[in-house]
Amino acid sequence: MVELVPKLLQQELKRLAENDQRIDGRSRWESRDIKLETNCLYNAEGSAKVTWGETIIYAGVKFEVRTPWPDRPAQGSLMCGAELRPVAGRKYEPGPPSPESIELGRVVDRGIRESGCIDMDSLCIIPGEKVLGIMIDIHVLSDKGNIFDACALGAIAALRTAIVPAERFDVGEDYPLAVSMTPTMCSFTRVGGRYVLDANDEEELGGNERIHITLGDEGHLHSLQKGLKGTFTPAEFDEILQVAQQRCAELAELVNSQEA
Amino acid sequence: MMGGYGDIKLLREDGLRLDGRKVDEMREVEIEAGILPAADGSAWVKHGLNVAVCAVYGPMEAHPRKIQRQDRCVIDVRYNMAPFSTSDRIRPGYNRRSREISKVTAESLESVVLVERYPRSKIRVEIEILAAEAGTRCVGITAAAVALADAGIPMRDLIVGVAAGKIEDTVVLDLDKAEDNYGQADLPMGILPTTGEIAFLQMDGDLSIEEYNTCVEYNMKAAKEIHELQKDALKRRYEEKMRGES
Repeated sequence: MVELVPKLLQQELKRLAENDQRIDGRSRWESRDIKLETNCLYNAEGSAKVTWGETIIYAGVKFEVRTPWPDRPAQGSLMCGAELRPVAGRKYEPGPPSPESIELGRVVDRGIRESGCIDMDSLCIIPGEKVLGIMIDIHVLSDKGNIFDACALGAIAALRTAIVPAERFDVGEDYPLAVSMTPTMCSFTRVGGRYVLDANDEEELGGNERIHITLGDEGHLHSLQKGLKGTFTPAEFDEILQVAQQRCAELAELVNSQEA
Repeated sequence: MMGGYGDIKLLREDGLRLDGRKVDEMREVEIEAGILPAADGSAWVKHGLNVAVCAVYGPMEAHPRKIQRQDRCVIDVRYNMAPFSTSDRIRPGYNRRSREISKVTAESLESVVLVERYPRSKIRVEIEILAAEAGTRCVGITAAAVALADAGIPMRDLIVGVAAGKIEDTVVLDLDKAEDNYGQADLPMGILPTTGEIAFLQMDGDLSIEEYNTCVEYNMKAAKEIHELQKDALKRRYEEKMRGES
């Protein structure tokens, strides 16, 4: 079947871009409204619900006690996975994890891991025998565009409010997980020929490339990813990186305000 | 049953249960309709500490073709527990338990949806358990009914998931986690609240005929209460829609 609707939509997106407009009336670097709730799930040791425009995701943190990897006997571990289950939208189908969901989980994982916000040494209980494993699972419930940023925000917010259930594992009293930084992600999608911040589902239907930038506390880069078909110039990247610097700081502030 | 009677006290001296409920008292239930913008219909149900979300997509073309029925639509249910929904993390993906629950839930929904209205079609019902504390299959059914109604799919009646069971030789309504783990029986039902018909039934444990009858009586009573909450949620949703359009 020829994808007629995306074709027609692309023309419209191009026309709008030429007039510096967007399909939902936002300006180029304007995000949709974000609502962040934490500690919203019983049974998860840390949890967050993100309502990003009409996109809704949940993130939950679980811990396990496990034997350390042989090459890192005194370090715990962190794993972040995302599920794009059929609940998330009409286009999602049941089956084994899709390449899209694996990419999503891994990009979010890298941003958190590489920022160094979790001290892996602090997760060691008995060197060579027992370490803590942290598992962040992200569940996308409603995909109306830009699930990457929503998932990254939910993951770090859930992590930052997580309590280590030490009593349950018989290794002391429960304590809040130490997270030293708040890495946040900012994604840009080419829509109608130019990059915009926080594309919605209609803008994503255009199918052009997207760039995901994860920045840490000092505005340092911790993870980058370009997805989908298309190219960009260094000058374009410089421009969106500047937007990302400001936007990521705002997102980090939103996450940090949750803890009080 | 795991643990078994006598290991753990589940009833207090005063005859109330550990969480202070009377034997025929259910946990608190909250329902909201239309909470997932991507879906054609959706619902959120909090039942005690359980949280279930349901999305409905369709009616849509049924494919692959071999699943099509010439005279009706098929209802494709997926019941799934989020990895973080239980005290020990669950590995993502389908397992035998969720497959069985999905199958019997689909069949119970097929008994209330006017499936003959949509030949060769498919309705997708996605039940996601975000927090589990005993009775999730029932919460899923309650949510699915509201989500189907929210999607505008014609049904004979709503359907309510409720469970009764037995702890310390006493029949109780709506088992919580401890009662489910250490009790003697569990009887989940899907009830059509208007007609009192039963579209979903499972049971495990040990019940006398008399105890079974008491369980059914408790379940029927609870179904009527939850039915009111389902209707309220749908009314609120439609008031919202009307306001949005005017």
